[in-house]
Amino acid sequence: MIVHDKNLLNNLALIEEADSLESAGFISKEQKKIIKKELPSFKVQNNILVRLGFFLLGSFLYSSICGTVSMIGLIGSTSFSERFFFSISCFIFLGIGIAGAEMLAKNKYYRHGLDDAFILGIILNAGGAYMITTESYNDTPLGLAIVVAVTSFLVYYRYLHLMSILVFCLASTAVLFFGLYEIGDIGKTIMPFAVMLFSGGFYFFTKKKIKNLTEIYHYNAFVLANSFCLVLFYLSCNYLVVRELSAELLSVDIKPGQDIPFAYFFYAFTCIVPVLYLVQAIRTKDRIMLWISFGAIAFTVFTIRFYYSVLPAEAALTIGGLVMFGIAYVSIQKLKNKESGLTFKPDRIHHSNTFLNAETLIVASTLGLKPEIKTNSPMEFGDGGFSGGGSGGSY
Amino acid sequence: MTQFDEQLTQDLFAKKMITENQLQEIKNYRSLNIFSLNVELKLLLSISVLMFTSGVGILIYDNIDSIGHIALLAILFVITCGCFYYCFKNSQGFQKTETKFESPFLEYLVLIANVLTCIFIGYLQVQYEVFGTHYGLATLVPTIVSFFCAYYFDNRSVLTIAITGLAAYIGFSVTPQEIFQGNNDFYANPSLSYSAIMLGVLLILWTVYSFKIELKTHFTLVYLTFALHIISIASISNMYRDELIWILFALILAGSSYYFYKISYELKAISLYVFMIIYAYIGINIFLFRIFEHADFDEIWVLFFMLLPIYFIGSIVMFIKLIKNFNKEIAK
Repeated sequence: MIVHDKNLLNNLALIEEADSLESAGFISKEQKKIIKKELPSFKVQNNILVRLGFFLLGSFLYSSICGTVSMIGLIGSTSFSERFFFSISCFIFLGIGIAGAEMLAKNKYYRHGLDDAFILGIILNAGGAYMITTESYNDTPLGLAIVVAVTSFLVYYRYLHLMSILVFCLASTAVLFFGLYEIGDIGKTIMPFAVMLFSGGFYFFTKKKIKNLTEIYHYNAFVLANSFCLVLFYLSCNYLVVRELSAELLSVDIKPGQDIPFAYFFYAFTCIVPVLYLVQAIRTKDRIMLWISFGAIAFTVFTIRFYYSVLPAEAALTIGGLVMFGIAYVSIQKLKNKESGLTFKPDRIHHSNTFLNAETLIVASTLGLKPEIKTNSPMEFGDGGFSGGGSGGSY
Repeated sequence: MTQFDEQLTQDLFAKKMITENQLQEIKNYRSLNIFSLNVELKLLLSISVLMFTSGVGILIYDNIDSIGHIALLAILFVITCGCFYYCFKNSQGFQKTETKFESPFLEYLVLIANVLTCIFIGYLQVQYEVFGTHYGLATLVPTIVSFFCAYYFDNRSVLTIAITGLAAYIGFSVTPQEIFQGNNDFYANPSLSYSAIMLGVLLILWTVYSFKIELKTHFTLVYLTFALHIISIASISNMYRDELIWILFALILAGSSYYFYKISYELKAISLYVFMIIYAYIGINIFLFRIFEHADFDEIWVLFFMLLPIYFIGSIVMFIKLIKNFNKEIAK
């Protein structure tokens, strides 16, 4: 079913390993060059910027081909043939997408950007084709979610396209959501618990799969699905999500002084799960989980502040900043001189490649805020106001 | 990735691509079981700095009339001085080359001190009008302070603040959010475009000069990134102009693209290279559009539409070639 040559996929993994070993300083540059030369592999774009550029170009190409086809289909058309063309257009576009993706895969394009455009186009047009043939514009999008989930899974299995797995995860969640929604009030009521159980179960399922995995090229997809389950698990019973959704779906009107049923459970869940993640991540040395726990902690703070204004924003910021600085200071002092296990020293193997890039990106975007706060404020003084000074949408 | 990492290294060894010594070294390192929190803790530090400084900024803004100004100013002044004192005491002094600090906090303390100085000066201006109606000075002084800090403490983040300050002094904003959202309105304001391009050129000249006197050459990429975006965006937004002047901006864009093509090869900087290509491609498309604008399209627009996929295939082939050449050059 997989279109790519398995030898090449294994070679790709070897080359990536050689890359990280080289950047860690274990092997020399010449060695890496020889390895690259000896192992034939794919046309891969590792630089995210370049890949994004090729993705854009691929999308232009795809849509321009589709545009040309539509024009040929519509030349000299009557209203009947127009409608006929409209009903089959998505299938034609789908065919173009498959043809393009196949052709690129045959030419050894993998994780290149061009292939991303065509593969995502397949999923998009499959959804569009379903919408047009069933004319179900006003129903709940349960059918659409099923179609997208199935297509994205098949597409992943054919092209090993990682982003399709993300689409698959989102679509399956949507299937679950709309399925429960269709059942009626009972379904809506048990929704948080159902999603929680589902994501929890799926988490352990994927975790077990990862443990027994033998094909390395499936590894990333399982990790992605696994992390998605973690996020979904936290969100499923987060107080903010539950409360807003029950207001939306069950039209529960919560008056001041009242609360949603099982409120204490949701409060406890919102506060305990991030801590649990954090502890578990540090215990099992799971970096992805660690980052998810950071996100969860931030969202928990947001949830609490959403309903209770514990402190005015500026005081919370100042004190929070000081507390975080203190935590970081203490942790660094503690970890500074450790040589193994949990440490502050950069990891030779994994530090340089993926996370250094992420760090520069994140630091660059955080620093992007700073000039706005700061350099804008002197500008605004001209108007006699201080309005740019910090309040300007930086949060 | 645990189970596969070992296996992959073993495979590389089995294929005789790494030596036994290397294999042993790697195995030894892996057995240390290192889980580094370096990135995470540094990130935590920078977020805390960001939160603290904006908290202080808002605090001052909100209480500007209630707490005594002198008290506020004094507190701010004391904190700033404390930070600066600590930084000066622990830094190794000015060095022409890249310097690494022993303590990871120093970098962030410099940032705090610098941001607080800017708030302090801004506060002085808005409350006491120290600089009178010379509003430019209120921007220029923090900029100079930032430049000083950036060079003295070798701090890239402070350098970006300084450059944005310089641009703000001229009258436009170069923070990432604003420059890409087109908040500067170069189109409506031609003189601003000229000064923006001039600033870009000056930044480039400064990097050339820095190379000559070997002063902080690792700052080059920061300067050039700003210069590339400023020049390109200013000239692209002026290429829509009705007057014939748009040709001048097209030429400027062509010139800057050529320069950045050369320099990105020299510095092996793919981020410059990619953005240069993107801007040049946008520029070429606008140029073609402006040329065809005068042609009579009624007759041939169908043909034009048919040619589009071929045009895109052509551009893709060209892009692949460009990137390939560059990667080859980098690998050398």
